[in-house]
Amino acid sequence: MVSNTIQFIYNNQICSIENPDPNKTVLDYVRNDLKKNGTKEGCAEGGCGACTVVLGELKNSKLVYKSINSCISFLPSVNGKHLILVEDLMSKKNELHPIQEAMVKFHGSQCGFCTPGFIMSLFAMYKNFKKFDDEIIEETLSGNLCRCTGYRPIIDAAKSLNKKKDNDHFKKDQTKIINLLKKINNNEVEIFHKNKKYFSPKSLNNLKKIIKKNPHSYFLSGGTDLSLGVTKLRGEIKSIISLNSVKELKFVKKNKNYIEVGAGVSLYDFQNIIKSYYLDFYNILKRYGSVQIRNVGTVSGNIATASPIGDTLPLLLSLDAVIKIQTKNTLKIIPLDQFFISYRKTKLKKGDFVYSVKIPINKKNFFKAYKISKRFDDDISTVCASFNLLIKNNKIVKAKIAYGGMSEIPKRATSIEKILDNSIFSKELFLKAQNLIKDDFSPIDDMRASKNYRIEIAKNLLMKFFYEISKKKNIRINQ
Amino acid sequence: MKISDSLFNKSIVHDSGAKHVSGLAKYTDDISEPLNTLYGAIGWSKKAHAKLKKIDLKDVKKSEGVLSVITYLDIPGRNDVGPVFDGDPIFPKDKVEYYGQPLFAVAATSMELARKAVLKAKVVYQDLKPIVTIDEALKKNSLLFKPRIIKKGNPNQKIKKSKNKIKGNFTTGSQEHFYLEGQVAFVIPKEDENYTVYSSTQHPSETQQIIAKMLNQKSNSIDVLVRRIGGGFGGKETNFMTSAICALLSHKTKKPIKLRLDRDDDIIITGKRHDFYSDYEVGFDDDGRIDGLKLKLASRCGMSPDLSLAINERALLHIDNAYYLSDVEIKNYLCKTNTVSSTAFRGFGGNQGMMAIENIIDNISRYLKKDPSKIRERNFYGRKNRNITHYGMKINDNVINEIFEDLKTKSNYKKRYSEIKKFNQKNKFKKKGISITPVKFGISFTTIHLNQAGALVHVYTDGSIHMNHGGIEMGQGTHTKIAQLVANSFGLPYEKVQISSTNTSKVPNTSASAASSTTDLNGAATLNAVSKIKLNINNFIKKKYKIFSKTEPIYKDGNIYIGNRIFNFEQIIKEAYLNRISLSSSGFYSTPKINFNKKIFKGRPFYYFCYGAAVSEVTIDTFTGESVLDRVDILHDVGNAINPALERGQIEGGFVQGQGWLTMEEVVWDKLGKIKTFSPSTYKIPAINDIPKKFNVEIFKKGLNVEKVVNKAKTTGEPPLMLAMSVFFAIKDAIASTANYKKVPVINAPATPEKILLSIKKLKNIV
Repeated sequence: MVSNTIQFIYNNQICSIENPDPNKTVLDYVRNDLKKNGTKEGCAEGGCGACTVVLGELKNSKLVYKSINSCISFLPSVNGKHLILVEDLMSKKNELHPIQEAMVKFHGSQCGFCTPGFIMSLFAMYKNFKKFDDEIIEETLSGNLCRCTGYRPIIDAAKSLNKKKDNDHFKKDQTKIINLLKKINNNEVEIFHKNKKYFSPKSLNNLKKIIKKNPHSYFLSGGTDLSLGVTKLRGEIKSIISLNSVKELKFVKKNKNYIEVGAGVSLYDFQNIIKSYYLDFYNILKRYGSVQIRNVGTVSGNIATASPIGDTLPLLLSLDAVIKIQTKNTLKIIPLDQFFISYRKTKLKKGDFVYSVKIPINKKNFFKAYKISKRFDDDISTVCASFNLLIKNNKIVKAKIAYGGMSEIPKRATSIEKILDNSIFSKELFLKAQNLIKDDFSPIDDMRASKNYRIEIAKNLLMKFFYEISKKKNIRINQ
Repeated sequence: MKISDSLFNKSIVHDSGAKHVSGLAKYTDDISEPLNTLYGAIGWSKKAHAKLKKIDLKDVKKSEGVLSVITYLDIPGRNDVGPVFDGDPIFPKDKVEYYGQPLFAVAATSMELARKAVLKAKVVYQDLKPIVTIDEALKKNSLLFKPRIIKKGNPNQKIKKSKNKIKGNFTTGSQEHFYLEGQVAFVIPKEDENYTVYSSTQHPSETQQIIAKMLNQKSNSIDVLVRRIGGGFGGKETNFMTSAICALLSHKTKKPIKLRLDRDDDIIITGKRHDFYSDYEVGFDDDGRIDGLKLKLASRCGMSPDLSLAINERALLHIDNAYYLSDVEIKNYLCKTNTVSSTAFRGFGGNQGMMAIENIIDNISRYLKKDPSKIRERNFYGRKNRNITHYGMKINDNVINEIFEDLKTKSNYKKRYSEIKKFNQKNKFKKKGISITPVKFGISFTTIHLNQAGALVHVYTDGSIHMNHGGIEMGQGTHTKIAQLVANSFGLPYEKVQISSTNTSKVPNTSASAASSTTDLNGAATLNAVSKIKLNINNFIKKKYKIFSKTEPIYKDGNIYIGNRIFNFEQIIKEAYLNRISLSSSGFYSTPKINFNKKIFKGRPFYYFCYGAAVSEVTIDTFTGESVLDRVDILHDVGNAINPALERGQIEGGFVQGQGWLTMEEVVWDKLGKIKTFSPSTYKIPAINDIPKKFNVEIFKKGLNVEKVVNKAKTTGEPPLMLAMSVFFAIKDAIASTANYKKVPVINAPATPEKILLSIKKLKNIV
């Protein structure tokens, strides 16, 4: 059924909004329409976490909770979900939630402006995990900035939750919420608001039909990049087609030779899938934005955005990933290294979208990836480098190397690959190869780093890779 | 009879803690708006230095939802928000002096429409050459004031005679405040052209005066209210642009106006920390004791004076940090640049001065190939001699030797120092570094008249207390601490004291909540009000019940103990009211003992000093220049703390903010003066994984303020920021190890991965 009304659960009730403005953010809705102003705007770009809210949704009939940046999420994205705000955590008797209690007790707030965001990130953690170790806590909160406390009391508060049993009112109302969610989860949404349109089809067939009728639309996946056109550039996105509800795109195929990930799979889910195959891929993904961003962003979105500093791209390039593009008529398969044309230009034509990405599994290969940035977490790469080497009898059979942040597109280091291929794995070889960086790349100076530094670390990372392989252990200061 | 413990030294949670965590704490943007409220937005300059040929606002006026557009022509009074000097026009007439300078503003029916409208202006500029860096400004002699020279002894001669001498230069970078709540104001017009102003400011009184002058009205027509602000750190001390423009829009439209800068505009339009450049020549003996020091100290002040004079003065006053300088000369240059006017930021120049001397000490130790901690100790102020500062103040509360010694033991510094050397011999790609640095920070506004505060306390007939003072709650917990003082003084439970918004119509002529002095000053003023009320109550009781005891009555546990009688507080309040006794009082405080002659740079500018020390241990990656902070040990003197948990919060938070300043936070302007780092995607403040992997913070147990500060406490506002100096010098230590500690590394702050790698590379090339 197609509907022009979005429906979601708020306060244990179904809320319906007919033809909402598809450019309105969830934050705007919460603060200005719901008049709940516990949720704050800190940056309007998903970079500080002050606006964090939680969406509850059904996954295999079970409730999962996702923290999101409400400042860069368009309102229709709450369709079919359970919206939870910081004001909703207290019990009906106005008792603080265990998370809130812990944050007060451990002096986790000073000016308090970032606090609601921290509370909501912790809330999602509290509901999704049973134990909260340092790693989980730090990952949970890496996208929440606090300028007052220095984080220590917040970490202590989070750790103290290990002793608390989860019997909050969300637990008690679970069945009710599940039933409500089941009720509202069936509609395909088509919104017409003044001059703006928004479509959220549920099947690939319908998606194709909508694309045919609305060829000049923008595809929305996580929207973490697209939304900035509204929240930062103050523009309008007149026609949006959301890929989020298309069932056929939410798939992961795994076999001996490859993993294929559909466009509907979030980066957060992807990071946990890739972990057992390529540990460094997981390590880089953990530093990709924040949990809030990875909960909505997708690998396919990262590919289609084609940013020179998109963190998955050099990794996928060096892993020889191929992508499937859904065109008007066919599903086209192309190697990723043929996809990027120039700065943010790709082989996608109007109406095409990235359907999936297929990553070969090569268990015999050495795969390592490095991301250098001013800040370890939630920062944009100065340089991201990815190395994939097949060595047999001390001879390099095949080298696949790619860099991000070194060019207007993420790119393979073909000259270096060439000199490595079929050569004996040795320090001398790598020292020689290093000097070819300049043949493949001419990076720029910007606010993140100078051109020279980029070249320097691109060279050094190649050497680091060499030493890590020859010494059979990682040389990392942060892991 | 059980008498409860004193509320002093109790780690009561922040008064707004429960409200913060439940989203119920109201900030300026959360105040409900009347239905006729309009929303403002500011249009700003896209050039750093240019003549304004034409500002075409036709399309702005026609833009959807726009009801009013204002320019400098709409200002009835003073077109300037400069706090001390002129130079910060609200809207400039004919010339722009920085990228981001406001040019006009609009009021529209929604925030979104207002922000869209300002983008439609067509401004014609005639480019002028911008001066962006300190270097350019010095070369072109672009200065805000004449260079200033301060001198003690004869450094020239001392350096000449010295056994060892080194020269060098050093810079520390700017820093964006990145308070989580951006600049915001909400102005409601009242009768008689009066205005109620809600503003996220550290300085309501000056907000009031600036708006009054702008509107050509008297201060008594403007009320400014602040319940809390979402972080300040100095960034809301003099940034009056937002509230002034908001008030002007309200004046023009006769409607309530809300004006909130979005994050990008906030960073682009408002001031940041001063970058400092220093050039030094130092002579010292073989044990590293400084004989004489000559320094050139220059700062990037931006396009106007703002507070730059006071900030540079504090840099000069902290060039000694904890070290005795017998012979010293400093030339100070305040560079005028086409960048946003640099402003107050936690440390207020003190930290920049301290980094300059710490770098010199560090270089002396590396030159002599000695443990830097030894050289630091060797130069410390003495207790009985070597205790007069370069500005002639005798230090009588020095505890740095003790703190340093204690911390070295507690942190196992000596052993770790040698273990790290061993580690570095074995490892080529990872290098470790360690450093211990001291902090001595002077407390008081160096502008003497600012050291005053007022308060207003009411006792209502039911015995409940209403507390008000001039301090701003910006996260530091000043209201919590002062409420503890009040409750304790009345002998009542903490919950009986109601905290209220800072309000210029309750307490007038206040100073900014700044200089780490908020609780010291306002706490004392509030206690003064309390003591006046208590005197009324005491006199009433004595007279009515004919008690002739001369001993001071005791207020405890809800009772008043007077002579050998006990009176219930609530009952006696009712009785006092019926007997027409005043139960309300204002309070006042001014800091004693301080004096400072700015002209000759002599006197006692500080009531007391705060002391602390920190040991940091880092690991750097020699491939990439990345660094990680492995462990930090802090020992900090907070005197006899009113609320130890809140002080610890300041120590940890201040440390991490300082760590950001010295490692990853980098404000970048391009050659044309355009700021390139104006959002969290390009400007990085420390996140949760950046804090020390081990973080041991201890309060100096023997700490006691020798002066009569409330509770004998010492403030913690700014001083802990400078504990982070140890992170920078630990990084430098790790860099030094790449040349086996045989050469002196050159690195400026912030120590980003790029600067670290460059420094390692340079070190290889130094012969």
